[in-house]
Amino acid sequence: MSKVVEISPTTRHEGHSKLVLKVNDEGIIETGNWCSITPVRGVEKLAIGKTMEQVPKIASRVCGICPIAHTLAGIESMEASVKCEIPKDAKLLRVVLQCANRLHSHALHNILTLPDMYLPGTDTKINPFTQEEPVRSVAKRIQRLREIGQTIGEIAGGEAVHPSNPRVGGMFRPCSQQAKVKMLDLAKEGLVLAHAQMDFMIAVLRNFQKRDWAEVGGAKIAIPKNLGYHDQGYLATHPIYGSTSMDENPTWDYSRFKESRPWDWYMGEMEVSLEDPKYPVGGTTKMGTKVNPQMEACTGIPCYDGAPVEVGPRARLVKFSNFNEKGTIGQQIARQLEYPASLTSIISALDEYNPAGKVIADYIPQGDGSMGWAANEAPRGTDVHLARVKDGRVLWYNMLVPTTWNFATCSKALEGAPWQLAEIVVRGYDPCVSCATHMIVIDEDKRLVAQKLIQ
Amino acid sequence: MAPQKPADVAAKVETTKKEVKPVVDKITVGHVHMSGCTGCLVSLADNYGGLLTILDKYADLVYGLTLADVRHIQKMDVALVEGSVCINDKLSVQEIKETREKAAVVVAVGGCACYGNITRFGRGGQQNQPAHESYLPIGDLIKVDVYIPGCAPTPQQIRNVCVMAYLLLKGTKEQKDLATAYLKPLMMAAQRGTTACFCDLMTEVINQGLCMGCGSCAAACPVRAITHEYGKPQGQRDLCIKCGACYNQCPRSWFSFDVVSSYEAINEAIMAALQ
Amino acid sequence: MGAELGIYKSCVSARSTDKEILKASQDGGIVTQLFGFALDEGIIEGAIVAVSKDFYKKYPEKCMACYADDTKEPFRPIPAIITTKAELMESRGTKYNISPNVSLIKEATRSFGLDKVGIVGTPCQMQAIRKGQLYPIGLRDVGDKIALAVGIFCMENFPYQSILQLVEDHAAMSMDSVRKMEIGKGKFWVYGKRGQVVQLPLKVTHKYEQPGCHVCLDYVANLGDISTGSVGSPDGWSTVFVRSKIGDSVWGKAMAAGCFETQPIEKVKPGLELVSKLANEKISKNKKTLEERATFGVGKALRNPYI
Ligand SMILES: Cc1cc2nc3c(=O)[nH]c(=O)nc-3n(C[C@H](O)[C@H](O)[C@H](O)COP(=O)(O)OP(=O)(O)OC[C@H]3O[C@@H](n4cnc5c(N)ncnc54)[C@H](O)[C@@H]3O)c2cc1C
Ligand code: SF4
Ligand code: SF4
Ligand code: SF4
Ligand code: SF4
Repeated sequence: MSKVVEISPTTRHEGHSKLVLKVNDEGIIETGNWCSITPVRGVEKLAIGKTMEQVPKIASRVCGICPIAHTLAGIESMEASVKCEIPKDAKLLRVVLQCANRLHSHALHNILTLPDMYLPGTDTKINPFTQEEPVRSVAKRIQRLREIGQTIGEIAGGEAVHPSNPRVGGMFRPCSQQAKVKMLDLAKEGLVLAHAQMDFMIAVLRNFQKRDWAEVGGAKIAIPKNLGYHDQGYLATHPIYGSTSMDENPTWDYSRFKESRPWDWYMGEMEVSLEDPKYPVGGTTKMGTKVNPQMEACTGIPCYDGAPVEVGPRARLVKFSNFNEKGTIGQQIARQLEYPASLTSIISALDEYNPAGKVIADYIPQGDGSMGWAANEAPRGTDVHLARVKDGRVLWYNMLVPTTWNFATCSKALEGAPWQLAEIVVRGYDPCVSCATHMIVIDEDKRLVAQKLIQ
Repeated sequence: MAPQKPADVAAKVETTKKEVKPVVDKITVGHVHMSGCTGCLVSLADNYGGLLTILDKYADLVYGLTLADVRHIQKMDVALVEGSVCINDKLSVQEIKETREKAAVVVAVGGCACYGNITRFGRGGQQNQPAHESYLPIGDLIKVDVYIPGCAPTPQQIRNVCVMAYLLLKGTKEQKDLATAYLKPLMMAAQRGTTACFCDLMTEVINQGLCMGCGSCAAACPVRAITHEYGKPQGQRDLCIKCGACYNQCPRSWFSFDVVSSYEAINEAIMAALQ
Repeated sequence: MGAELGIYKSCVSARSTDKEILKASQDGGIVTQLFGFALDEGIIEGAIVAVSKDFYKKYPEKCMACYADDTKEPFRPIPAIITTKAELMESRGTKYNISPNVSLIKEATRSFGLDKVGIVGTPCQMQAIRKGQLYPIGLRDVGDKIALAVGIFCMENFPYQSILQLVEDHAAMSMDSVRKMEIGKGKFWVYGKRGQVVQLPLKVTHKYEQPGCHVCLDYVANLGDISTGSVGSPDGWSTVFVRSKIGDSVWGKAMAAGCFETQPIEKVKPGLELVSKLANEKISKNKKTLEERATFGVGKALRNPYI
């Protein structure tokens, strides 16, 4: 008979989320619901009526780990709506920013995911904050990589966390020759470190793949070979940057997108019937607690061609580099493989960048209310912002953010895994939960599709 | 409410400290994530090597969903709270109250926790929780001891507060005095109130005849909402996100001659602590 | 002489040994010479200074962004980041109105890519910088990049319109024909390009002062690494206080490199006594203003920023 177990809140990712899992007698997940419980700040609704300059600044504050993706997708959706082309040198600075953010974010994710992994050849789990070697050197390298990413982002973008330099029509300020050289120098140092970090992470991940068990709360849990496998499709718009509705050949299609409400997707009210007080740290939810993912979830379920898809590093590599490894570890490996390209792309963009060039469009139209969208390949996947701007004011705004795409896909990927390893699967997606709570598209005809999907 | 003297906080911290960890010579710190974006936490992490030093020598991270596996709020010396509180969400309200009960010192980290920041603009109506519409800075629900405004707040400001909190708890008498003096303005900022935006420069500085056109406000603004026209700040209020950085960076909002005159020694002490 | 002069390691009367600098500098060319030397030596990679419209026309991307049309007005300071000596030379001379130099302190470390920044400013701007280093609320990664902060003495500052009215109405000169302005020997001096000199008693200038200056408690830039002004030294010379470790090190190197000729401050006229007297006058006058603010209304005080 299946039982219900709840892990709430989940840890070592951004934001608040929880797992409600229906498991069989062996503890294997039959239905997995991973849902956000972060309060909905309602950025899409509060955007209405505000200026097209301010909304992307607010949108940036949806997430402090990939703020650059939200800033750029936000600004570029405004530019797509008002039909404003930006100068080439502004675009190059945005590419630099984009890659700098990816570098820092992937490095940060290493810290969050390492505690699930073992030092190769031992049964010791990795504590990234320990002072012992070899971990301390790795932690220092991770921090240096983050510092390089954040510093490049700070120079090109004005601020390391929420970038201030990008604006509708281009950038506020060009970067000087000196700034360009400094960024190049940092990127070159970063490239060496990134290769070393990638090799280390891949060794650790491969080691985990070879293991038969993982220790969770004092118990040895068998690791299935297909941990995190799913049959959903992949969505990515570009290996590095993204696409917009102004492109000649846009790589994302609004008409193929539909969203349904969690009501149609998640499980309804249930009672927790399995409890493990030893589950780290603090145990799972008490027996008898009522849970209701349908009602509690804070996000919708976006579908592309009628089904949820995976977005993120693996999706990018599947679409653009013939990568085909499945499962949680495959996904993690894909992320490490993105390290070098995030730096080589900075270097080539800077080589092309002309400090004397123009970075702001001569004329910035104020918009006639037509819809424009911009997709940005955020560290954890495709981030699409859609906007309608009229007379410089936002009439309508919508954000399809990476983790929202992944919530449904990851819920599928949980099936077949021992429930104790569910958080490891979740972390494979590098979730950024608070950004996920910003959906508003409601599509009545697609409710049926969603219902079929969960059957 | 009577302004709380820094000394009270010091005393309070000491008692709690004894209960929690009488032997280990570190303070316990937690990161409580309310409705924020994690940018504040990223800033804390952006102390890079310094973060490792702080964790090695001065502070144990006893709670923080993003960085640690602890699921429930623990007793701690210092709670660094990020984000505002959605009062339409029971769990959030419960967590902020629990934070106050379990932490000796509550620090509001970032514009959202101090002043609401972008969540001030919230007005609900969005899927899948259309009723989530009212967001309050934590100071409207609990008493807050120290403010670190800004969006994002800076790694250096968070670091300085962490080091000073450590000195307050563990230092010699002199170090305690220094920490008290240093933290005082940030405590007064917490007592001052839970709103700040560009308008505070107008009402509390320019209207009060105090602005002298230094330019700090424009430099501090994270969205470039402030320019200087004929030397004086001009705020684009349609761009301002209400983070409170400009007001608190302004030398004419608050200024302590005692502390700032010792800038060399204090900076050196902080840097030495991180070696 | 006590607290009114701040803490300092040494004090001399000095002037630059570079004749080119002296040609257009305000007093002894201390500021320009220090930045020039620091640029040459790599102590700073650039400096935030106040430039004029000619510079702005040539290099708008190096200047503070603003909406007011800066291209038109003479003697209106525009904060700018200079990275070469040629650019530096265009910043010489005092503009007696507000130049928000601190507004560029973050940008210098961002799109300009500077790791070592010099900045010149009035005492209040030095206060702003030190507050920013100790309490970096919105100044991430800036504090340790401030490599040399040069403070200039300051009794009071003016809005641009005040200067315009003083020059055009009281001194009856057109702004475009002014070569230099100066406050000294108890007078406001305006020197014309054609050689005319007009002096106004300070009684006239008082009503034009910036109100924010009336709560200012620092005359000699107590928080600069090095601070300098004309008062205390003979014409064409400057009084220099070396204050911090950074200041001491830079001054020592600049002296060794022969950048300055100096005279002991005890030997020159009018000397430190006058500096001290003016500092005390300013501080006691403004302390009184602060007291008056405490009982300004009926049962209502004006704000006091100092805690
Ligand atoms: C408003 C004001 C009031 C002053 N009051 C006094 C006084 O009462 N007593 C006294 O002894 N000295 C005073 N000074 C200082 C004096 O006028 C000279 O600036 C100082 O002696 C430096 O001269 P120098 O030859 O070394 O500098 P220079 O080599 O000529 O360089 C001057 C530097 O000052 C900068 N600068 C010019 N105008 C401004 C401004 N408005 N704000 C900030 N920086 C600016 C320039 O960018 C340049 O870098 C005042 C200066 C100002 C700006
Ligand atoms: S203050 Fe800024 S960085 Fe911090 S949580 Fe709020 S939006 Fe994010
Ligand atoms: S003007 Fe800028 S610094 Fe001031 S509160 Fe608004 S956003 Fe923050
Ligand atoms: S920081 Fe304060 S004193 Fe300085 S210009 Fe801004 S408002 Fe005026
Ligand atoms: S008098 Fe004081 S406040 Fe006024 S400009 Fe000079 S230093 Fe600044």
